[in-house]
Amino acid sequence: MLDPTFASALAAIVPPPALLTAPEDTRPYECDGLTLYREQPAAVVLPDDETQVVAILKLCHAARVPIVARGAGTSLSGGSLPVAEGIVLSLAKFRRIVAIDPIARTAIVEPGVRNLAISEAAAPYGLFYAPDPSSQIACSIGGNVAENAGGVHCLKYGLTVHNVRKVRAVLVTGDIVEFGADALDAPGYDLLALITGSEGLLGVITQITVKLLPKPALAQVALAAFDDVEKAGAAVGNVIAAGIVPGGLEMMDREATRAVEQFVHAGYPLDAAAVLLVEADGTPEEVAAEMAEIRDVLTRSGATEIRVSADEAQRLLYWSGRKAAFPAVGRISPDYYCIDGTIPRAALPGVLRQIATWSREYGLPCANVFHAGDGNLHPLILFDANKPGDRERTVEFGDRILELCIEVGGTITGEHGVGVEKLSGMCTQFAPEALERFLGIKRAIDAHGLLNPGKGVPTLARCAEFGRMHVHRGELPHPELPRF
Amino acid sequence: MNTTDSTLRQGLSEVTERLVRDYGERAVTSRAVREQHSHGEGLADAGMPDIVVFPQTNDEVASIVGLCNAARIPVIAFGVGTSLEGHVAALYGGVCVDLSRMDRVLEVNDADLDCRVQAGVTREALNAELKGTGLFFPIDPGANATIGGMASTRASGTNAVRYGTMRENVLGLTVVTADGRIVHTGGRARKSAAGYDLTRLFVGAEGTLGIITEVQLRLYGLPEAISAAVCQFADLKDAVDTVIVAMQLGIPVARIELLDDVQMDACVRYSQLEFEAKPTLFFEFHGTEAGVREQAETIESIAAEHGGSRFQWATAQEERSKLWKARHNAYYAALALAPGKQAFATDACVPISRLTECVLETRSDIAATGLVAPIVGHVGDGNFHLVVLFDPAKPGEREKAEGLAARASARAIRMGGTCTGEHGIGIHKLDALVAEHGDAIALMQAVKRALDPNDILNPGKTVPFERAQRRR
Repeated sequence: MLDPTFASALAAIVPPPALLTAPEDTRPYECDGLTLYREQPAAVVLPDDETQVVAILKLCHAARVPIVARGAGTSLSGGSLPVAEGIVLSLAKFRRIVAIDPIARTAIVEPGVRNLAISEAAAPYGLFYAPDPSSQIACSIGGNVAENAGGVHCLKYGLTVHNVRKVRAVLVTGDIVEFGADALDAPGYDLLALITGSEGLLGVITQITVKLLPKPALAQVALAAFDDVEKAGAAVGNVIAAGIVPGGLEMMDREATRAVEQFVHAGYPLDAAAVLLVEADGTPEEVAAEMAEIRDVLTRSGATEIRVSADEAQRLLYWSGRKAAFPAVGRISPDYYCIDGTIPRAALPGVLRQIATWSREYGLPCANVFHAGDGNLHPLILFDANKPGDRERTVEFGDRILELCIEVGGTITGEHGVGVEKLSGMCTQFAPEALERFLGIKRAIDAHGLLNPGKGVPTLARCAEFGRMHVHRGELPHPELPRF
Repeated sequence: MNTTDSTLRQGLSEVTERLVRDYGERAVTSRAVREQHSHGEGLADAGMPDIVVFPQTNDEVASIVGLCNAARIPVIAFGVGTSLEGHVAALYGGVCVDLSRMDRVLEVNDADLDCRVQAGVTREALNAELKGTGLFFPIDPGANATIGGMASTRASGTNAVRYGTMRENVLGLTVVTADGRIVHTGGRARKSAAGYDLTRLFVGAEGTLGIITEVQLRLYGLPEAISAAVCQFADLKDAVDTVIVAMQLGIPVARIELLDDVQMDACVRYSQLEFEAKPTLFFEFHGTEAGVREQAETIESIAAEHGGSRFQWATAQEERSKLWKARHNAYYAALALAPGKQAFATDACVPISRLTECVLETRSDIAATGLVAPIVGHVGDGNFHLVVLFDPAKPGEREKAEGLAARASARAIRMGGTCTGEHGIGIHKLDALVAEHGDAIALMQAVKRALDPNDILNPGKTVPFERAQRRR
């Protein structure tokens, strides 16, 4: 419940229907793409413009009311999970593509613009926006920046942080700050990188200038089948070690391939233990030369079959399965849990072998579908939440995969973010020295911890507590309780 | 002298004694060594450190910084002193940490295309070490700087248009923070969404947030084919327009360098090149045989449309080396234009759509001052440099030169650009930073205060902070 004085002050800034307080109206905001966690906020506001955002933040800051910013709500780590006593600030009305500059190759957009809508708007100029999370038809660019989103084409073209020029944000105090510059480099501290991936903890993004790239004249994808997952993993390393930087380099194991084939009917080889998708893009000459090299490396790595897309329709068909992997897996299992660890590429075969072993031990099928070129794993653990014990074993299995990722020199999240999901994992990945820096930066910018509290960075107290329980290898009892 | 100052002075002499005792001959207080550590390659700036220490391990750096923090003594990290903006000047005295003895390449992972080096490794030493692996580290600011220094100043260079700057190529760091602790950021994973991006925060912080002691770097496969080309133009505008069209078409050129007629004249004399003193573009192409040929042909036709002449090829290694050596020596060539004069280099960076306008306006501004100031730049990413020559003996000439540089910064900012594409802020561009960033300055100061509450790390640089304000 909101304090009545606060509620009326809020209503003065964003009058209904842009202010939602009835439980039936706030219900749709209770969770995001990570449905394991739910919480209803005290209120939801849908401001029209930046002036309103400033006023809302000033009001909340003065009243010490927590704020959770929300784009399209597709976060897979609970990044936009509401806080019970706080408000959700939805940027759904910030949908304008303000300007496209084909010469500077940039687009100025509002945070609620969908990722794919940018590429669609840039298409008449022969340009596109490179980072392409699988949810790109729905996810918003503001959320992409907040989470430093990746995607299939990030191997060659970089993550969100590499493709954003400038970000305008409102701090919790209501001050407006511009991060980055229109030029190549901005002097001083790289605050643009600091706000990118900060998961809504440092400011509310109101405008973004993204880089656009010329659309390659031609793209072709090779689909290669392997009779062994480790061989496919090694092939990934061989492609990169040969000095090839493919437009995309993705892998699906048998479990994932079968799920996907039933869903999109792309003609994937069902008997293969693993399938690799390797894309070459550029001018026709470049693509021909690179594709010849790719074929060569894949053959030497033991591919049993290689098909190269003959035309654009076939290329999109080959990709359709990969892009639809999550919903496809959703069809064959009542529930699934998506893991997002990243490892050095050379560690791929060993890690995949270990995941297969654990999958047998736990009796939980695991479909592997991932950005292999980046070493970014997305094991999907299939389970049934209605079966007693399945959920607990799934979480334990997932935690072990992430610990393994850290052990081999990787990270607990490649692109989905920490959110609420991986707070404990942060304690394992980062030493107290680094965590203290994170907390120090947060304190310096949001002294009262009002922006997206309980996400992104664990308190040291939580890590101490987790460390003790960690010995027992168990899930945190009552994870819903705040532990600060 | 007030009590605070005398306490500081007392602390400084204790720290100095302790360092001399602990580090023996690796702690130097001689005037010559201190003087050498008081400046980079830019103008000599006031401010010598009181002592120079040469640590060899992360722990040694941590213990030195810890000592200084306890006594509130400034600590300035030093690589090989190639900075152009006064980054290493010890404005308030203190301890200079010279990292040149931390010069080991710690690991090279060829399969993952990455490596880990100590901060004192120079880029040429790294590439020598990589010989035989088929890999290379492309970032090339011209000077043979240390990797730690390049990370600290977010260096870029002639091929940033293809390979990015240090921002894109540092995967992780080991940093000694102001409280003398060792922090590891990033790692070998290609991407991470865990926690704030401390790696990029330390990259470009110019030693004001921590001292970088180890760097995890991205490496690249040596391209199958490399070729270079040179093209001359009657008019500066045509040369710049050629670049803009090439960038719009998305041709993945590895390097594009613009030299104006003054700079070209200097280079022709200094490096004995057989070219005319006209606005000139240098290109380099990396890729497969077919790709390189195709890129070069496209560029040739664009240049021809803009009146470019003498499109010359250089595919042999020696020819290419000679050309690029001439480009790298541009700064020294410019100095040789007017022996006895002093010079400083300044850089600016604008969105590529404003490049022609910015370069031409700068050019007429130079003409109006009557100074000699050649223009040279990595124009593919909108970045260009001025080498401003002046006679220190002539009254008012230094001021005139500084005015020219200040106007170049202001012009770049007015056109949506930045006052520094790659040299950094140091001390010379603090005012320009304030003009450019406005509101963000307060945030930068908050970050600085959070990570270095006693303002001991390279004080007075990059972000104006308390110590600077106190003394002003």
